[in-house]
Amino acid sequence: MVDDEVEMQRALRTGLSYHDFDVHAVGSGEEAIREAAAWRPDVILLDLGLPGMDGFATLKALRPATRAGVIVVSVMPDEKDKVRALDAGADDYLVKPFGTEELVARIRAVLRRQADVTAGEPVIRSGDLEIDIGRRSVKVNGKTVKLTPTEYELLRYLALHAGKPVTHTTLLRQVWGDYAIGDKYNTRYVVAQIRKKLGDDPANPRYIVNEPGVGYRLEA
Amino acid sequence: MSRAAPYGVAVGGVIGITAAIELISSLAPVQGLSALYLLFVLWLAARWGRGPAIAGSLVAFLLYDFFFVPPVGTFTVRGPAELLELVVLLAVALVTSQLAASLRRTHASAEALARESRALYELATEALRSPDVTVALSMLCRLATELRGVGRFALVAVDFGQPSALAGDPLTAEELKQAAWSHEKGRAVGIAVRDGAVKLMRTHPGATELVYLPLASGVAVIGIAGDRTEPDQLRMLAALIGLADLLLDRRRAALETERARSLESSDRLKTAILSSLSHELKSPIALLRTGLTALAAPQAGLQTDQRELLVDLDRQATRLDRMVGDLLALSRLEAGMELDKEAHDFADLVAGATRQLRTELAGNRIVVELPDDLPPVEVDEVQAGRVLANLLENAHEWSPPNGVIEVGAAPRGGVLEAWVENEGPPIATGDLDRVFDTFWTRRARGSGLGLAISKRVVEAHGGTIRVENRRGGPRFTFTFPLAQVSAVPNA
Repeated sequence: MVDDEVEMQRALRTGLSYHDFDVHAVGSGEEAIREAAAWRPDVILLDLGLPGMDGFATLKALRPATRAGVIVVSVMPDEKDKVRALDAGADDYLVKPFGTEELVARIRAVLRRQADVTAGEPVIRSGDLEIDIGRRSVKVNGKTVKLTPTEYELLRYLALHAGKPVTHTTLLRQVWGDYAIGDKYNTRYVVAQIRKKLGDDPANPRYIVNEPGVGYRLEA
Repeated sequence: MSRAAPYGVAVGGVIGITAAIELISSLAPVQGLSALYLLFVLWLAARWGRGPAIAGSLVAFLLYDFFFVPPVGTFTVRGPAELLELVVLLAVALVTSQLAASLRRTHASAEALARESRALYELATEALRSPDVTVALSMLCRLATELRGVGRFALVAVDFGQPSALAGDPLTAEELKQAAWSHEKGRAVGIAVRDGAVKLMRTHPGATELVYLPLASGVAVIGIAGDRTEPDQLRMLAALIGLADLLLDRRRAALETERARSLESSDRLKTAILSSLSHELKSPIALLRTGLTALAAPQAGLQTDQRELLVDLDRQATRLDRMVGDLLALSRLEAGMELDKEAHDFADLVAGATRQLRTELAGNRIVVELPDDLPPVEVDEVQAGRVLANLLENAHEWSPPNGVIEVGAAPRGGVLEAWVENEGPPIATGDLDRVFDTFWTRRARGSGLGLAISKRVVEAHGGTIRVENRRGGPRFTFTFPLAQVSAVPNA
C-alpha cells in the first residue's frame, strides 16, 4: 500500500488483515518502487496524491518492474485521471472515500484475473455469456451468437480483461489499430450492436457495463 | 530673409555689374559684356525664382540701354540689333527662371517626401520597438498636428464600448461623446477616406472645425484649420491615419489577450481552490469510512450492537461525503466548468446512473421505456449522468416502499425530452418552481442541492427542466440536445 497518511495506512492495514491479506505500507513513490522489487506483492494499492514523486510517475516506474496488479486510489473523482491511470497500466481505480468491503472485492477481482491469465483460461464467462477465445465463439445460454469481426474483437478484448475497466482509447487502438484514435462514438456504436445481439438491455446491461467518462467493463 | 530681399539683391547686383562693365570698357574695349547680366539673371532665377529674375533682367535692360546702348544717356533704342539684345536678355531671364523654378519645386517635393518617409520610418520603428503603443500614438499625433491645415489631432480608443482619449490634443466630454457615436455608427463626420486618399469636407472656407473618422478600434478626431490643405499634406495625413488604425488595432488585440489571460488565471485559481478544498474535506471522510468499515467486519470480533453502531456511523460519513460532493459539484458548475460534450446514447446514461445507485434503488422497481431508434444526445457523460442520478435519488426518496420509478425519453422538436416519474405524493403547487432552488428541500434529510445541480447541468447544455404533478405522482421532465452523428465507419 502506497499512502502518505499514516492514519490511512493503519486503518487499511487493520481492515485488510481481517480479510487475511498481508499488507506492507510505504509512504512515497520511491519507497514503493524499492519495496515492489524486494517484497514482490500481488497487488499494489497506489494513492495518486503522493508527496515528491507523484502517483502517475510512480505508476510508470512500477509498471515494467512488477507484475503485481495495481489499483489506483484517489480522492479526486476526475474521470481524466482515471483514464490516465488506466492507460498508464493500472488495473483498476477506486475513488476515496470507499468502504473496506468494496476495496476487498476489487482486490479479489484483480487477483482472480491474474490467476486466469496465468492459467491461460481459454473460455471466459460473464453470467450466462460464454466467450471461447480458442474457438472464436460467443454463446449466450449455450446458444451461439454471430458477431462481426469488429464486434468480436471488441468483446474479446473486454473478455481478456474481464472485470477491469478498459478505456475508450485502449479499445479504439486494440480494435481499429493505431490510426483509429478518434471518435469514441465508434466504440459506443459497436457496443450497442453487441448488446443487441447478446439480448442485453442497454439501460440495464448485464454483461458490458459503462464506466462513465472512462470506458467499458465486462462484468466478471 | 524677407520677401523683398531677393529683389534688393537683384537690383543691387545689376547695378554692380553695370559699374563693372563700365570699368572694364573704360580700360579696354571688350565686346559682349552684356553676357555678364545674363549670367547674373540665370543665377537669380535658379536661386530665387521668376520674380527676382524678371526684376533683375528689367533693371539690367534699362541700365544697359541707358549706359551702353547708343545714344548713351537715354532710354531710346535706336536699331533692331540693340532691341534684339534686350529682348534676348528678358527672354533668357524668363525661360531660365521657369526651368529653375520647376527644378526647385521638384527638389522641394523630393525633400518633403524624404522628410515624410523619415518621420513615418521613425514612427514605425517606435511602434515596433515598444509593446506599449501609446508612445508611438503620441508621436503620431504630434506629427499630424505639424501638418499644414491640421489644427488639432487626437485619437480616441473605444475599449469594450467605452470611449477614452488615448493620445493627442485634449478633447471635451462632448467631443468624446461625438467620437463614441461616430465609432458606434461607423460613420465619418466631415471627412472621407477612399483608397487611402483623405478628403476633408469644409462647411465654409477658413472655418476651424472638428472632423471624426471611425477606425477599426477607435476614432481619429481632426481639427481642420485654414481654408486649404495641400495634396502632399493630405497624403501624409492619410498615411498617419492608416498607421493609427493599425496601432489602435494592435492595442486592442493586446488588451483582449490580457483580459482573456486574467480571466483564465482567475478560473485556474478557482479550480485550484476547489480541488484543494475537495482534498481537505474528503481525506478525513475517507479515513473515517475506511476505519469504520474495517471495524464493522465480523472478523474484527465486535458484538452485533457495536457493529450496528459502526454501520450507522459509516452511513453518516457516506452522507457527509455525498453532501461535500454536491457542494463541490455546484460550485464547479457556478464557476462555469467546461463540458466535455460528445454523442451518447441516452440508455447508457440511464444505465450508468442506475448502476451507481444500485444499492439505494434496490427497493424500487425501475421501469425504463426507451424507443429503439432513440437518437444519441450531445452531452457531458459524467454531468448528464449526475442529472439522472439526482432525479432517480429524489424519486427514490419520495417513492413508497417497492414503488415504481419510471424513466422515459422521446425526441421532440430537435431535442431529446426525458422524464423521471415516481409514485410519491404530489408537490404543492406553490413549490413547483422552488424545488430547483439551491438549498431548498422538503425534508431535513437531503442537502437540497441535487435538483439545483440537475437544473444547472441541464441549462449548461442549453436545455430546460421542469416538474409537474401527474396522476401517478410527480414527474421531472428535462431536455438534452441531440447529437449530430455521421455514418459510423467499419462497424
